[in-house]
Amino acid sequence: MSEQSVTSSAEAQKPIGYIVGGGLKANLQARLTVPAQKVQEGAFVVVESGNWLFYGLVTDMQLGSTDPRFADEQTETRLPPELAKLLHGQTLFTNLEVMAALMMEQGPDMDEDPEAYQAWFQKVMEEEIRPEPVKTVPQHHSEVRLAGAGDIAEIFGKEGKKGYFRIGDTIEGGHPVCVDLDKLVQRSSGIFGATGTGKSFLTRVILAGLIKRDKTAVLIFDMHNEYGPDDTASDTGMRVPGLKGKFPSKVRMVGLGRGATIRGKTPDYTLEIAESDIMPEDILMLTQELNLRETTPATLNALFNQYGRDWFHKFKNMRPHAVQEDEEGNKVPADDSIEAWANEANIHQLAAIGLHSKLNRLFNCEYIVENPAGDAVNQMINNLDNGQHIVLSFGNHEKDLDYLFVSNLLTRRIRDVWEYRTNNFRSGHQGATEPRPLVIAVEEAHKLLNREMASQTTFSTIAREMRKYYVTLLIIDQRPSQIYDEVMSQLGTRITGWLGDSDDIQSVLTGLAGREALRGMLAHLQPKEEVLMLGWGVPMPIVVHSRRYDDAFWEELLEKKARRSNRDILRDIGF
Amino acid sequence: MSEIEIGRLLRSGTTGFVVGCKVNQLNAPGFGAMVRVPLEAQYQVYGVIYDIHIEDDGLVRQLITAQDVPEEVLKDNRENRNVPVEIGVLVLGYEQEGRIFHLLPPRPPLSLDAIFLCSPSEVAHFTGQGRFGYFRHMLRDRDKPVEELLAAHLYQARAAQVDAGNEAWYQKAVGELITLMRDDYQGLIKTLSAVSEI
Ligand SMILES: Nc1ncnc2c1ncn2[C@@H]1O[C@H](COP(=O)(O)OP(=O)(O)OP(=O)(O)O)[C@@H](O)[C@H]1O
Ligand SMILES: [Mg+2]
Repeated sequence: MSEQSVTSSAEAQKPIGYIVGGGLKANLQARLTVPAQKVQEGAFVVVESGNWLFYGLVTDMQLGSTDPRFADEQTETRLPPELAKLLHGQTLFTNLEVMAALMMEQGPDMDEDPEAYQAWFQKVMEEEIRPEPVKTVPQHHSEVRLAGAGDIAEIFGKEGKKGYFRIGDTIEGGHPVCVDLDKLVQRSSGIFGATGTGKSFLTRVILAGLIKRDKTAVLIFDMHNEYGPDDTASDTGMRVPGLKGKFPSKVRMVGLGRGATIRGKTPDYTLEIAESDIMPEDILMLTQELNLRETTPATLNALFNQYGRDWFHKFKNMRPHAVQEDEEGNKVPADDSIEAWANEANIHQLAAIGLHSKLNRLFNCEYIVENPAGDAVNQMINNLDNGQHIVLSFGNHEKDLDYLFVSNLLTRRIRDVWEYRTNNFRSGHQGATEPRPLVIAVEEAHKLLNREMASQTTFSTIAREMRKYYVTLLIIDQRPSQIYDEVMSQLGTRITGWLGDSDDIQSVLTGLAGREALRGMLAHLQPKEEVLMLGWGVPMPIVVHSRRYDDAFWEELLEKKARRSNRDILRDIGF
Repeated sequence: MSEIEIGRLLRSGTTGFVVGCKVNQLNAPGFGAMVRVPLEAQYQVYGVIYDIHIEDDGLVRQLITAQDVPEEVLKDNRENRNVPVEIGVLVLGYEQEGRIFHLLPPRPPLSLDAIFLCSPSEVAHFTGQGRFGYFRHMLRDRDKPVEELLAAHLYQARAAQVDAGNEAWYQKAVGELITLMRDDYQGLIKTLSAVSEI
C-alpha cells in the first residue's frame, strides 16, 4: 500500500496543464498537456501560482484547436503519421474547465529559509493559515496538477485526526477523503441518490463512524430492517453486517410491538405506544395517508377537550351506529355510540363516524395498547443519554402508516425532552448538564418531509432549527425533489449519488454556488458507489468513490489501533 | 572547411544577395543549399539558395531562331556565355567570433566577394544553434516559394544533423515550423505537404 501511494503521489506532482484563462465568476481554463483520458470530470486539481495554492474541480473538458480547420480536416489521411502527430500536438488541444473553490498560502521553502518555514508551519498547525474561499485568480500559465494525498488531507482533514473519518477515496489517485463527523452532525444532512446507488451502504458506513466516534447519540428509524440486524445484499447475495452485531453493547435494537422479531432475532426490547401518548396532532400528521377530511381537526379537538389524554381510548371504544331502545321502545343512538357522543359534543355525526372508520387502521395496530408493558420511550431516551444508540426496527410493520405515525410521535416526544433539557442547561439550572447531541436517521425522508407534511412534523422543525436543541437529522432519500425546499436548503452536508431526474438534481443543489458545474458532475456519476459531497459541512465539493462497506471496513474501524502499532513497530525496528 | 567556391557576389542587400557564376560552376549549388560568404576574419554571412536563374541575351535569342546552327556553336555558347548564372540567396544569419546569430548581419557582403557552399558539418553547426530563429527569414517573404524552400532545406539539414548525431533535430524543427505557421492554415498545410514528400 505504501509503495503504491509513493508512485501515485509522484504521479500527482507532475503537471497536467497550465492556466490559460478564466476568472472568478467564470471558471478557470487550463490547457491540458497530458492525454485527456488521464483526467476526468470531477477530478480534484491544484493550481500553483506563486505563493498560493488554488484547489478546484474539473467541471468540464473541451476539445479545441488553434484554427477550426485543423479540427475539421482529417490531416492524418494527408500527412505521414509522424508529421500528423506533430501537427496535432500543436494545433489540437483539450481545455479543462476548473472550478476553483479554495486557496491557501504556501509555505516558504524549507531549505532556503528554515526559520520562515517554521513560523509558517506553526501557523498552519494552529490553523491560522487555512484553506479559504477563492478571492483571487492564479497567474497565467500557472501549473495545474492532480491533487495528491497530501493536498486532499490538507483540505478534507487527515484520517486518524480526531473526528475525521474516511468516507471514501478520490476518483483519480484513490486518495482518502475524510469528513469531519463533528461538523457533519452540527446541522442536518442528507444522503441522496436513485435507488441502488448505495445510500443505505454509505449510511451504514457513516453511522458506524458516528457510533465509533461516540460523541453523538444516534437514533435510527429502520423502516426496512437494514441497519440493526445482519442482512444480505439483494444484488450480490453478500452478507451485510448490521450495527447491532458489531457494537453489541452500544447499540440497542428496539422492535415495534410486543413479541416482535427482527429477521428472526429478538430485539433488546420492544416498543409499544400507549394510547394516552397519542395527541390529536399525531393524527393530523396522517391527513394524507388516511385521507382525512377537513372536519377532522374540529372532531379531534372536541374529543381531546372532553377526554384529555384518554381521547384515543374512548374514541376507539365508541361503537358506530349502535342503537338502543329508549323507555318508549324507540331506537335511539346507544350511549356508547359515536352518534350519541357527536350529538352531545355538537359535532356532525357523519364527520365523527367517518373519522372513526378512517382511524380503524390505527385502532387495529397491535403496537398501540392501553397499558404498555414498560415505558419503552423513556428507556430509549435513557439509552441515548447514556452513550448508547438505538435502531428502531419496524419489523413487519413496513407500511407508510406505521412509519409516519411512530417516527413522528417518537421524534416529537424525544425532541421535547431535548428542548426541555437544553433550556434548563442554557438558563443555568442547578445540576443541568449539556444534552448529548442526537442524530436521527430517517430513510425515505420525503414521506416525512414533503411539502404537505413539512408544516406539521417535528422533523421539519428539527431541520430548520439546526442544532439549537442538540438534535439534527440524517435524512436518506431517493427523491429529494419531494422534500420541502425549505428543509433542503437547511441541510448542511449533502452527499448524493447518481440521480436521473432533473428535478431531483435541481433540489439537491438548491442554495449552492456553482450549480451549473455541479449539475454536470452529478449527472455523470457512476450509477453505484460514487457520490458527490457538497454543502456547508465539506470544505469544497468533491466526487468520492464511496468507502466499501465490508469485512475489511469493520476490521479497520474496530481494530485500527492494533494494526497501526504493529506497523509502527515494524518501522521502528527498521522495516 | 570545405572550399567549394560557387561564384562571386553580384548584388547584395541586408536580407539577401545574388551570386553570379559561370555555367560550368553550376553543378555544385542546388535549390535549398546553404552557402556562406567569409567577409573578414571571424565574420561570415550565411544564407540559403532560393532561386537559380539564367538571363537571356541577344545572342541566345539569335541562336534559338537561327537555322542549322552547328552543335559546337551551341555548346560553346552555352558554356562560355558572358551573362552569368544568377543565384539568389536569402540571408539566414551570420557568424562572428565563433558565435552563430540567426539575425540579419550588420553589414552585407560586398561585390565580388567569393561565396562557398556550406559543408554538412557547417550546416549542422548553423542550424543546430539556438531555437530555429533563422526560420523567420525563410518565412518572411511570401513571394518566394517558401514551402518548397523549407522542404528542401529540411531535407538537407536533416541529413547533416543525422550525420552529426542529432536525430531529434528534425522533429524539433518541424514542431517549431508548426508553431510559427499555425495561424496560417493554408501555408502550413502546403509546407507540410511539401515536407512530407522529402
Ligand atoms: N459502499 C458500498 N460498499 C459495498 N457495496 C456497496 C456500497 N455501495 C453500494 N454497494 C452495492 O450496491 C448495492 C445497492 O446499494 P444500497 O442498497 O445501499 O442502495 P440504496 O441507494 O440504498 O437503494 P434503495 O434506494 O433502493 O434503498 C448494494 O447491495 C451493494 O451491493
Ligand atoms: Mg436503501
